Amino acid sequence: MLTKRCTQKLPAHLYTSTPSRITMSPRLGLQLPLWGSLITPISVRSFGIRSLTPPKPSRYNVGPGLPILESSPEAALRRKANSLPLRAGAITIKKGMTAIFDPETGKRTPCTVLQLDRVEVLSHKTVSKHGYYAVQVGAGWKHPRNVTKALLGHFSAHGSSPKRHIFEFRVKDEAGLLPIGQSIEAGWFQEGQFVDTRSNTKGKGFAGVMKRHGFGGQDRSHGVSLTHRSMGSSGPGQGGGSRVYPGKKMAGNMGNTQNTVQNLKILKVDSANGIVVVSGAVSGPKGCVVRIQDAIKKPWPEVPVEGEEAVKGEATAAA
Amino acid sequence: MALPAMRPLGCLWSLMRAYEPLPMINRRFISTAYSKRPEKLPLPQDMPPQFLSQIPLRFRPDPDRQPLKIYPAPPSARKACKDPIGAVTESQLAVLDPKGERKAMFDYRRNPRSVKPGDIVRVTFKNGDPFNGVVLSIKLRGIETSFLLRNELTRVAVEMSVKVFSPNVNSVEIVQRSEKKRRRARLYFMRDRKHDRRSVENIVANYVRQKKAFLGGGNRRR
Amino acid sequence: MIQLKTLLSCIDNSGASIVECVNVLKKKRPATIGQSPIQSPPLRGRTRINQMLCAGDRIVVVVQKQRSAGSEATTAAALANKVRRGDIRHAVVVRVKKELQRPDGSLVRFGDNACVLVNKSGDPIGTRMNGVVGQELRNKKWSKILSLAPVHV
Repeated sequence: MLTKRCTQKLPAHLYTSTPSRITMSPRLGLQLPLWGSLITPISVRSFGIRSLTPPKPSRYNVGPGLPILESSPEAALRRKANSLPLRAGAITIKKGMTAIFDPETGKRTPCTVLQLDRVEVLSHKTVSKHGYYAVQVGAGWKHPRNVTKALLGHFSAHGSSPKRHIFEFRVKDEAGLLPIGQSIEAGWFQEGQFVDTRSNTKGKGFAGVMKRHGFGGQDRSHGVSLTHRSMGSSGPGQGGGSRVYPGKKMAGNMGNTQNTVQNLKILKVDSANGIVVVSGAVSGPKGCVVRIQDAIKKPWPEVPVEGEEAVKGEATAAA
Repeated sequence: MALPAMRPLGCLWSLMRAYEPLPMINRRFISTAYSKRPEKLPLPQDMPPQFLSQIPLRFRPDPDRQPLKIYPAPPSARKACKDPIGAVTESQLAVLDPKGERKAMFDYRRNPRSVKPGDIVRVTFKNGDPFNGVVLSIKLRGIETSFLLRNELTRVAVEMSVKVFSPNVNSVEIVQRSEKKRRRARLYFMRDRKHDRRSVENIVANYVRQKKAFLGGGNRRR
Repeated sequence: MIQLKTLLSCIDNSGASIVECVNVLKKKRPATIGQSPIQSPPLRGRTRINQMLCAGDRIVVVVQKQRSAGSEATTAAALANKVRRGDIRHAVVVRVKKELQRPDGSLVRFGDNACVLVNKSGDPIGTRMNGVVGQELRNKKWSKILSLAPVHV
């Protein structure tokens, strides 16, 4: 602990000059020339994604020029590079479902109406500081007296009004980091593009195994008494170690967990009213918070100009 | 304690009352009651640093601290549009039903001349197929407003629920009004054998013939 | 929703009057007519067996009841009966009680379940049909049946 403290107190220019090296070196136990000359190699505290069991440096697998281990934060970022969206998403409120008719073909498409409300960029998460790139976005408004002092300070420092909902949207690289204070309008999404929606499902309370996991239950008769809907056996006996394996499906709380619905098409965008209409259903009750972001399994939408310019253009068009 | 034998002693309580303790306020010192409240003294500006740890954190001088500025909220889209589903519906109705005729035709709660359950109705679809039937129910659900028709074709009952604002619906005509006033909004009892209306094809065929004659010898075809 | 043991009426002149479903071909769900037009997003988690996502319409049936021939010309009627009681035949479902949804959101529901017998190659065994059939047959290469039917809805 003491050594960690010491490294944190190091002069700032050391961090700024070689940020990437510092974050990757200590876990690997590599001998860096810069550090070797200054001090003995000691572990530096790193932030962001990291495994709970850091890789142990091998006695034989030490030296420059070796491949980076796959359990490092850098490797995690590299793995995720193709599956992270290029740009941030928006926080919306589910308003309910309706349908849209196509006047030409007469086809009816069930859809969900989502509304954006004062969505603004609050801050960034960067690789050098946090280990990943993300945009922190807030939406809605909360009375300042209901906001804790710490959070109020966060809003105040970034020049935004107190927000009711705060979420992060991971992006691939620096290009996806919107300027702080930028407002995200409904026009951020284009009609016809695909999005993923994340929201909490409706809570079902404490549910039995038949409802929660689709178990078959037991007979109504044939000697079965009082256990018609129970789960039966919870696993093997002596041969299986005389224990219940972790992850055994049992009765418990059902619903009210985050669910992602992928590849929903955007049917309609109304920038003036902040309305985004997506095809199909979105998890959760009316009034729940739904986060929408570009679908990772579809080609990225073609944004006309850089993100910032596009939003500006739409803002002026709306005004 | 309150034994009946003790009842004569009750008169002693009145003697005891004089020795009851006085209320608290009378015990205050007169100087306390009549002196001014002490004013809070400001903390000394140049406090020696070794004493700083004794005062609460929030009173310690901090040159870096700035007052929290609370920024006002930007204009809200939610306030501007309280009913987004209504807005989406309106925008669609502007295309599908610009004059509002179809809406008025099925708004049986407000419009007395609208289609009502029990009426016989003829629907023509875009592909030219007609469908006739008795209206069993009308569901008013915004853009998804629909009505349920029942008929008998080749001795087989056929029910069809049609969306009022569907672009596939070309026209809806009322062939015959219900003879008597219906007391129910949903005439599902007409599915029972006893109340079944059976085929309405004859009535509709009559209507079509009369209409053709009225429009001029069947030259014009709708 | 035609499944094992469902009794259907046969509406062609092949000679069968009532048939019983013994198998639904090419799908694990009850048969209906036509393809369900609504492309619902793929169900996550468990799917219920009775869920009508896409509908197949070809089934295997056992003829349970023959169409009774009239008193006169019994031999001719017997000759006209191409199928007999106990025959196992393929059939196409043309009417179902369970409501069908069309692409524009309208629903159609018939008063009974009915089918038409076909041979292995898919041609109808009967030459005439009496009764209304669903329009969904058009999209499913059964236009021959559709043209034989007096009315379609």
